[in-house]
Amino acid sequence: MNTASIISIKNMTKRFPVGKGEFTALENINLEFGEGEFAGLVGPSGSGKTTLLNIIGSLDSPTEGTATVMGKNIAQLSHKESALLRNLHIGFIFQSYNLLPVYTVFENVEFALLLQNHTASERRKAVMDALEWVGLTDKVKSKPAMLSGGEGQRVAIARAMVKRPKILLADEPSANLDAKNSHQILKTMKQLNKELKTTFIFSTHDEKVMQYLDRTISLADGKVVKDELTVAANAG
Amino acid sequence: MIQFLLKGILRDRSRSLLPIIVVASGVFLTVLLSTFMKGLFNDIIDMNAHFTTGHVKVMTRAYADNIAQMPNDLALIDVANLKEELVADYPDMEWVDRIRFGGLIDVPDENGETKTQGPAVGQAVDLLSPNTQEPQRMNMEKALRQGRLPKQPGEAMLSEDFAQKLKVELGEEVTLFGSTMEGGMAFKNFKIVGTVSFGATVLDRGAIIVDIADAQEALAMEDAAAEILGFFEGDTYDDEKAKEIVADFNAKYANDPDEYAPVMQSLKEQNDLGSLLDMSENMRIILVSVFVFAMSIVLWNTGLLGGLRRYTEFGLRLALGEEKKHIFKTMIYEAILIGFIGSVVGTILGLSVAYYLQEYGIDFSGMMKNISMMLPQVYRAQITPDALYIGFIPGLFAMVLGTALSGIGIYKRETAQLFKELEV
Ligand SMILES: Nc1ncnc2c1ncn2[C@@H]1O[C@H](COP(=O)(O)OP(=O)(O)OP(=O)(O)O)[C@@H](O)[C@H]1O
Ligand SMILES: [Mg+2]
Repeated sequence: MNTASIISIKNMTKRFPVGKGEFTALENINLEFGEGEFAGLVGPSGSGKTTLLNIIGSLDSPTEGTATVMGKNIAQLSHKESALLRNLHIGFIFQSYNLLPVYTVFENVEFALLLQNHTASERRKAVMDALEWVGLTDKVKSKPAMLSGGEGQRVAIARAMVKRPKILLADEPSANLDAKNSHQILKTMKQLNKELKTTFIFSTHDEKVMQYLDRTISLADGKVVKDELTVAANAG
Repeated sequence: MIQFLLKGILRDRSRSLLPIIVVASGVFLTVLLSTFMKGLFNDIIDMNAHFTTGHVKVMTRAYADNIAQMPNDLALIDVANLKEELVADYPDMEWVDRIRFGGLIDVPDENGETKTQGPAVGQAVDLLSPNTQEPQRMNMEKALRQGRLPKQPGEAMLSEDFAQKLKVELGEEVTLFGSTMEGGMAFKNFKIVGTVSFGATVLDRGAIIVDIADAQEALAMEDAAAEILGFFEGDTYDDEKAKEIVADFNAKYANDPDEYAPVMQSLKEQNDLGSLLDMSENMRIILVSVFVFAMSIVLWNTGLLGGLRRYTEFGLRLALGEEKKHIFKTMIYEAILIGFIGSVVGTILGLSVAYYLQEYGIDFSGMMKNISMMLPQVYRAQITPDALYIGFIPGLFAMVLGTALSGIGIYKRETAQLFKELEV
């Protein structure tokens, strides 16, 4: 199953300064992720899921140990280099969709491509493809305020996927959605995972999300307590 | 990207409208006040130049030392030669003689007895020679309240107030009593043909205006004049040139010990007008600085508020792989755009109102009945080319500065911290 490893975390610890002391959010983590994985971090609130995703996303860096993403050691990246890593290879999806309210659906998705060098027609094609993946080609001109929650999150998925990143990090993507919409977006993401070989890593409490995972990593108090391959019940 | 930001600015009113209003108001006030001050100071200068100082003035040294007393016994003599010399040496300028004198006006009744009487300040200017610019220079046509300007020797005008006080009707004769250059008694009859009101209390109080030849005759000042005023072509004061001419002229008499030798003074050297001119420049600089400072503070704060509202956007852009530096840069671009729009709007509004004030002015005459300074009563703005940028550049600068100050907050925050805004 594991093809080339694209994320490699070794003996990694993350501490935050709190008052005069320190708080250990992650402790001695060892994890590998390969291309095309569909994995999830589960665990109670405060167990360190978001912290781990932020480090993989090069938004934060480890205190000890190493995290290597796409061959880059996160701790050693400059601000510029980590921005480039995100720009080229990493997509994010959040609990709240964080669409920019003044822009249309099309423009929100296009925004992700503006930092890369594409012509307007290349961008147009890529955006329309991405909106097709999530089934929103009829909403290109809508403003975010006019969308339902499910539609909003689908736009966010299109925005994260439009540049065809190697890695997609989704922090509680279904937390604001009802069951029907949760299933719908997970099916969409599973589909993209298969077609584009993107590695998906979720953070979730949501049973519905867990059903779709190929691999479930349980965190508790900043430690990995279980890491198992799961049979995706809803697969396909 | 720029196009994208422009769309954002245009669509998100709350992001653009407040700063545009702030910039536009600041620029508007700067342009308006500065043109207004320019107009005011220029009117004061012009008025002084036209009525008393000229752009440069030639007197005897002794007269210059006692000028407040209008000491005509110290007047210039042999004026025709002196003027010829001035015209030859400084052909670009126009030279005119003036005499100011104190005296008494006596208005007789039908029987030749005194009806009314009053102290007068006489202005003798060239009213009658064929190409004289003096009536125009002193704005007499506009100042005329009744009757007409003198057309022949022996005619005079009184100020409107003075005429009323003396109960003089047009066509009546009055007698002017004064003193000759030698200190003797002088008197001459004048027919009052008009009344004027110049709009400055000092000029209008007890004024009688007569032709210079009449005054020379009455005061036994043939070929003499108290003052010779020089005016630049185009009637604009040029301090550099004035200084040159003054230095050149005075050098010729530097070795002449005679206290009746002529001396030239520039406008700036007379009546404290120099400090007035300097003050006008300083006030414009202060004005602009105050507005830049105030606008920057306000824009800094609106920038902070706007920035807070946009943390989601900034976090998202970081997540998408934009560098902080680039985000900061785009904020500055936005600021330049907004500052530009605000400055254009403010400048246009400011110039429009300034134009109105330049054409019509504001009449303050009711408020300065008793002010003895030579001030105009209708205040006008004056639009000069610098009005185009005196508000514009500060407006743009304040917007960029305010944004840069508030944008530093973005820089100081940790990436992950900014990003936290996205988690809720
Ligand atoms: N910047 C920080 N400074 C101090 N403590 C932090 C910081 N970020 C996270 N923590 C702490 O680290 C721990 C892990 O936080 P994290 O956000 O990763 O948890 P989580 O598993 O994502 O929880 P949730 O399910 O509620 O989202 C928490 O106790 C949190 O308070
Ligand atoms: Mg979390």
